[in-house]
Amino acid sequence: MARPGAVIEVDRNTPPTLFHYGEGFRLERLPLGSRIVYPPDPIDPIGHPERAIRRALSNPLEDDPLKELLRPGMKLTIAFDDLSLPLPPMAAPDVRGLVIEEVVDAAARAGVEDVELIAAISLHRKMTADEIRHIVGDRVFTTFWPDRLYNHDAEDPSQNVLIGRTNQGEEVWLNRRASESDLVVYVNLTLVPMDGGHKSLATGLGCYRSVKAHHTVDTLLQSRSYMHPPDSALHASCVRQGELIEDAVRVFHIETSVNNHSFPAVANFLQKRETDWTTGDQAAFFALKQVTDLAPPDVKRAAFHSMLAPYGMTGVNAGQVDKVHDKTLENVRRQMMVPVEGQTDIVTLGVPYLGPYNVNSIMNPVLVVCTGLGYLFNLYKNKPVVREGGVVIIEHPCRYEFNAVHHPSYVDFYDEVLADTTDPHEIESRYEKRFAEDAWYRQMYQQSHAYHGVHPFYAWYWAAFTLQHCGDVIVVGGDRATVHRLGFKSATTLEDALEMAEQTVGRWPSITHLRTPPLMLCEVD
Amino acid sequence: MPAGTWYSGEWGISSLASRLLGVVADARLMRRGFHSGTPRPATWAERSTAVPDRPSDLAWARMEPVRSIRYGIQKGLSAPFAEVMTHPQIEGSEWVQQLDRPAILVANHSSHADTPLLLHALGDRVRERTVVAAAADYFYRRPWLGRVVSLWLNTFPFARSGGAQEVMHRSSVLLKSGWNLLVFPEGTRSPDGRLQPFKPGVGHLAVENRTPVIPMHVRGSQRVLPKGRNVPLPAPVRIRVGKPLSPGAGETSRDFADRVEQAVQALAKGSTSPELTGSWIERWKASDKRAPRPRARLAPEAPE
Repeated sequence: MARPGAVIEVDRNTPPTLFHYGEGFRLERLPLGSRIVYPPDPIDPIGHPERAIRRALSNPLEDDPLKELLRPGMKLTIAFDDLSLPLPPMAAPDVRGLVIEEVVDAAARAGVEDVELIAAISLHRKMTADEIRHIVGDRVFTTFWPDRLYNHDAEDPSQNVLIGRTNQGEEVWLNRRASESDLVVYVNLTLVPMDGGHKSLATGLGCYRSVKAHHTVDTLLQSRSYMHPPDSALHASCVRQGELIEDAVRVFHIETSVNNHSFPAVANFLQKRETDWTTGDQAAFFALKQVTDLAPPDVKRAAFHSMLAPYGMTGVNAGQVDKVHDKTLENVRRQMMVPVEGQTDIVTLGVPYLGPYNVNSIMNPVLVVCTGLGYLFNLYKNKPVVREGGVVIIEHPCRYEFNAVHHPSYVDFYDEVLADTTDPHEIESRYEKRFAEDAWYRQMYQQSHAYHGVHPFYAWYWAAFTLQHCGDVIVVGGDRATVHRLGFKSATTLEDALEMAEQTVGRWPSITHLRTPPLMLCEVD
Repeated sequence: MPAGTWYSGEWGISSLASRLLGVVADARLMRRGFHSGTPRPATWAERSTAVPDRPSDLAWARMEPVRSIRYGIQKGLSAPFAEVMTHPQIEGSEWVQQLDRPAILVANHSSHADTPLLLHALGDRVRERTVVAAAADYFYRRPWLGRVVSLWLNTFPFARSGGAQEVMHRSSVLLKSGWNLLVFPEGTRSPDGRLQPFKPGVGHLAVENRTPVIPMHVRGSQRVLPKGRNVPLPAPVRIRVGKPLSPGAGETSRDFADRVEQAVQALAKGSTSPELTGSWIERWKASDKRAPRPRARLAPEAPE
């Protein structure tokens, strides 16, 4: 039985607390009386994933068994989530690969000749051959790459078709191959409650015109939070789009969930609470800290990005999208949920080296905001951990560094747009369209491995609610000029940051530290 | 050790010193007495070419413990080196994984790097049962070089001019003994990377032995180690393996060789027609690691 998550109060005996700090770490002593929220320990994975997958395909939820849907002469499309999930990438074999192998096996037995596999990247960067191979596995890759296994292209007019409009006027576009298929099998991996469900297909195989329907500042401001779909305007929009797709295309949805075993054995202490650290863990941390303090960022990045997480599959369900997603969310919540009593004045967070948009890449300043204030801050249910008008303190070096291949539009977003304004509404109305339709960004998205031109805007919008909700954002240990460009305050130490925060929230504030990753979902009363 | 003082007797230092001096004297004598690389004196008779030594069939290279040593060399040195230098992209490897009888592996040739890369692409199981036809007049001109490549790559001497019957016979024996045969029908390395006309020998061999031929194509090896250079450079390499071809009933060896050449050309162009690469279902089933394989036969079926 895995130990559940916990909220502990800092006392004199509490060891210093680990803060992720980009490709490094800091140990901080939190003030007495502060709370630390720890995620639950990894729950036990399914012992025989292949057998569980076969069982799910044979006994789907409110749908026919997969093998009854397959027949010779049909057109079958298998779509799957891209490398933005899970984080860090999963050590081989990836559960998506296991599922795809079973689906392909069933198609081969049924004699389905016309099979294509599409990576549902939406407006993310196109994955490299090696990245796709890692997800689908060697056997699928060598059989289908490159003609029948490829990345979705959201910018090719001939490859996308308009399915229709929802009753709210949202356009629904879909990959042409998927729309013309007799059956679309979607293979999803859900790490946090935000993923999966109708969002997978509607967004993953959509294009800018369908994604922009819900990736707006107003929609995101109305989502309390994106990590709790019933209270999320974003997900409501995705459901409307997904239902329209379900009317037009026969969809067989497969979702998997994994536990939160995020670090390999060599860095296992990062998974543990500080109070559980053995002498060996302390020595390992000390050594890693010295190395990361001294090593240049490129070296540290190469080392950290080569770490793969030994996730274990905790659930697999197949069938109708809504039914499947409900089951998946149960599994995800079972792993992530931590009850937290009441809100707090100040929340502290360490932003790690990795977010969904910088796998094998650099976490640039815009992505620091997206990861820290967009995703980690929003890992709550009911209400945010910090009260309205409270302060968020994040720790990250916030260096001015970008990956020119993956994030070309981010460079211009930072240099041009953020130099002008950091207000999400203003950014959306004045700049989004120009970046989204820029021919050069489109060219790099289609031909290279660049994120779509509009992507930095969405990354910024993810943080819109946090920016509106909080009275102040302070970055500890960040490059001062960069932090100021982002519109935040900069502090050298956590003590300084807490002093600065008191000017906003008053004397003797309550403080809560979210010790993540591993990821968790705070259920705030 | 016999009793006596340390400096005298059979094992005394003076005795050892005199032996060492003897070795030095011998070496000096040989060095002064024989000249290599200098013009042959006009007074000497012409070097005889009438009856060359019968080349060894290098059976030792296909026996233990040499096979185990070769396995260690290829797994411990060649494979990591190939991965690091060329990051090979291998397509269609399922066609060689499912071999249940000896086959002739036919590939284009533009670099000395081709052989280790192709062997790397074959995987452990097939590589361990594969011999490589190496130009006798190039690799076996110097005995030490021949031994090294035989140890490393399991090569055997393949005469490019003269002795065709002998070569065909020896290749047939190897095929019948259960060995796969890797040959480069162009005969020599392409100077510019383009495919050169195939020699018909591969057709003879396949038709005579009713052996399937697996076409393979290597792209990029010329940038790794082009003709005339000795130091390899890192460059990406793609290796494509096609569906096995078998000589049709009544098909002449020359026609079959043409068909093999066309298959390699098609692989070079990236054709993915099912005739060449198989349907995805065929390839999927071929790559099924869970399905029991038929026991490998050491001798091919008898000619009809």
